[in-house]
Amino acid sequence: MMDTDSEQNAVDFAESWDAYELDPTFVNSRREAIVIFISWFVAMCWAVPYCYFNGYNIADPADIPTTFGIPSWVVWGIGAPWIAADLFTTWFCFRFMQDDDLGVAGDEEPLEHNTGGAE
Amino acid sequence: MFDSLSLLIGQGESGNAVLITFLIYIIAVFVIAGLSNKLLQGRNFLSEYFLGSRGLGVWAFALTLAATSSSGGSFMGFPAKIYSHGWVLALWIGSYMVVPICVMGLLGKRINQVARTSGAITIPDVLRDRFNNATFGLISVALIIFFMTFNLVAQFKAGAEILRTLLGPIEAFNSVVESLPSWFSNFSNESTDYVFCLVVFGIAVIVYTTYGGFHAVVWTDVMQGVVMLVGVVVMLPLAINQASNAIDPGDSTKTGMALVTEEMGKMLPPRYLTLVIESTEALEADISIAQGTWLSSQGFPLYGDATRIFRTTTRCPLEKRSGLAVVEAIEIVSENDRQRSWRALETQNAAETETAADLGKLKVRRVLNKASLHIPEGYPVAIEDISLKPGLLLPFEGKDGKQRIAMLYSILTPKEKRTSGAPLDVFLFQILYTEGRILETELAGYAEQIQEAPYLEDLKLVDIDEGFYAYGASEDQRGAYLTAPGPDETEANGFLPLSLAISFFFMWAISGTGQPSNMVRLMAFKDTLTLRRSIFTVAIYYTLIYMPLVVIFCCARVLLPGMEAEADRIMPQMAVTLTSNIGMGWLAGLLIAAPFAAVMSTVDSFLLMTSSAFVRDIYQRNLNPNAAEDKIKKLSYFFTLVVGLAALMGAMFDPPEFLQDIIVYTGSGLAAAFLAPVVFALYWPRSNHQGCIAAMLGGFGTHLAMYCIGFLNGDGFTPYRLFGTDPIILGLAASFIVGYVVTKSTPPPVDTIVKKYFYKKMEE
Repeated sequence: MMDTDSEQNAVDFAESWDAYELDPTFVNSRREAIVIFISWFVAMCWAVPYCYFNGYNIADPADIPTTFGIPSWVVWGIGAPWIAADLFTTWFCFRFMQDDDLGVAGDEEPLEHNTGGAE
Repeated sequence: MFDSLSLLIGQGESGNAVLITFLIYIIAVFVIAGLSNKLLQGRNFLSEYFLGSRGLGVWAFALTLAATSSSGGSFMGFPAKIYSHGWVLALWIGSYMVVPICVMGLLGKRINQVARTSGAITIPDVLRDRFNNATFGLISVALIIFFMTFNLVAQFKAGAEILRTLLGPIEAFNSVVESLPSWFSNFSNESTDYVFCLVVFGIAVIVYTTYGGFHAVVWTDVMQGVVMLVGVVVMLPLAINQASNAIDPGDSTKTGMALVTEEMGKMLPPRYLTLVIESTEALEADISIAQGTWLSSQGFPLYGDATRIFRTTTRCPLEKRSGLAVVEAIEIVSENDRQRSWRALETQNAAETETAADLGKLKVRRVLNKASLHIPEGYPVAIEDISLKPGLLLPFEGKDGKQRIAMLYSILTPKEKRTSGAPLDVFLFQILYTEGRILETELAGYAEQIQEAPYLEDLKLVDIDEGFYAYGASEDQRGAYLTAPGPDETEANGFLPLSLAISFFFMWAISGTGQPSNMVRLMAFKDTLTLRRSIFTVAIYYTLIYMPLVVIFCCARVLLPGMEAEADRIMPQMAVTLTSNIGMGWLAGLLIAAPFAAVMSTVDSFLLMTSSAFVRDIYQRNLNPNAAEDKIKKLSYFFTLVVGLAALMGAMFDPPEFLQDIIVYTGSGLAAAFLAPVVFALYWPRSNHQGCIAAMLGGFGTHLAMYCIGFLNGDGFTPYRLFGTDPIILGLAASFIVGYVVTKSTPPPVDTIVKKYFYKKMEE
């Protein structure tokens, strides 16, 4: 199986670059990875500075304000961005991310064959 | 075995119910393994055994990834940290808000595609095939085995500890442990019950993983993931309700969680001390004082205070003959905690057991502080001739700048190891900061002592440990459990200074992305629709798990005072307390199964990954590429079994002390070594094997160097933190920079490889 693949590839790869285009799965993956990395950075830029200015160096720690019984710096510094992150994730998964062809591995073929036989 | 847990959970019905619930859970795990083994028939063995034939659907993929990430650290170490440091743990875990999208989305689609293109089954496979370089594959295998060895041993210990806590209060379990032959305990320096639990846990995990392979691991992960979620969801309302009811509101108008938070604001962290305890009556036999035992001076003034209360942090024997023992303990300092602790002590001593009767006879006679005594080089008197008797007065400069006098209790350094120029470890009677005439009398006593023996003047006390937290213990820091950086026993900057808060944002999201155990799962999902739905599922799952955990274990500070003495056991202890308080002890079986499930799901994945490194990456890819499937099958079973048994032996003979530290070390180390090479391999067509090998070794070496520097500085397993940041940041930065520079300065890859992985032939 592998030998046949290699021979096939060898023929293909000998062709000029003009016959090739960037794999759309690669292009989409890279675009999505960049957006995800930015979302991580935004989450950090919200959570850490907010907590730093409102949760650190408190003059009277025992008298800290609370929201829903939880220290307010935790609610607005972590809880709120967490919910925002969940909303973003929902949008990302169901609106932004593309469905792409992942290909078929050599070891999947016997499985496909078996399934076909059962049907 | 005596355990404080047995005071909270009855020996009868509830104990048996816990056992039955737990046994049902274990049986379910084995049934899944049996069904999974059937799936192996008629499929490509290696692909099915190590990768589930690349066919995972949404629930399987989402929950296996979530459960594997939620290791023993999440369900033992994390609750222990919340309990010990308070609300700041919300910031510590904060980046979990983006962990699902980062861990699954950054690499998921691409690594799955590349693995299918190359036919790879393991991560070393991916790297080897992507660059067509066998050396790269072997280097990555070596690193995986190196890190997994540490991690597996730690996870096995965690599994044994959880099982011990679960079964400890059950009579049938104790009878079995007591009836074990004496040679059984010779396997380890640890207690017999630990060894027994380790063997039971180890064999269960090894058998179902070996027999069922990847699908067994995945489907048990799914079940374990559900158990974890149910555990947290059930515990949350119980914890808030019971903690708020346990507080005397006084003048406060607050209720529920607000009352709990207000109560936490009054708390001060405990003090670490050494106690001399004595039996007030003759004992009938030697007794063993368990870790977590409550002790007091029984109401008699101890250094002027009649309400001091302590909890032991180590197990220690008390011989009938001497009736005396020295034991490490914490002292409960906060007044509100003290009241609840007295109730716990009364409950402990009122239990109708023989051990409780013995504990009722124990009284704290002395409180000791540790210190070092410096004897200068060239001391005029031979060290063995110096009279260092108990009661010797020793001067030191107090925090207030005044000269103070301490009193020697005993010397810990053995005689043969005492040399001038080297400090001696000593115990001092508890240091009291006296004033006025008492201080004058002490100073006069010291002057008299020097007059009699002038050479004693050169003895200097250094490194006096008064047992206070380095941050959070002073009156002006009261309320540190509500704020950042949170109280800390050893760090004067607190638990989570800003630099570490940033580090942990890297740690969980970015380091999680770099874990080979997660990457393997990313190679196993069926299609991109599965990936999209799974990211969403895991995001909701983590939201329901992590923030509630912070709330639950902040409540634990109120419900279970003094658990700093055995913080790693707070999760099972809390489960038992919450359920027994509502008369549903059987539910504890399910709740305790949550952390047990977490450890199991991590151990089985790591076990399979390590055995795949041996079978696929070393044997099949390098030694015998044409090996028959039957031989591969036998070797897979054999290596899974051997790796599991080796980790079990490690946890038996030399169990690691710092579970969470080891998990952090291996997690960050793997990310530092693997993330950059995999990112380059997947997203940079110009990348080559030279650059990626350099990135891997650069990240690994830099990360390891930080730990080595920390060790050489005498900080043990605590790494050196450049600019206060965790080694993961420096390791990742080094890995990406080295990889980029080396790639740019070496020849580009051949066109055939670039075309194969990054291009597609245009359709005519």
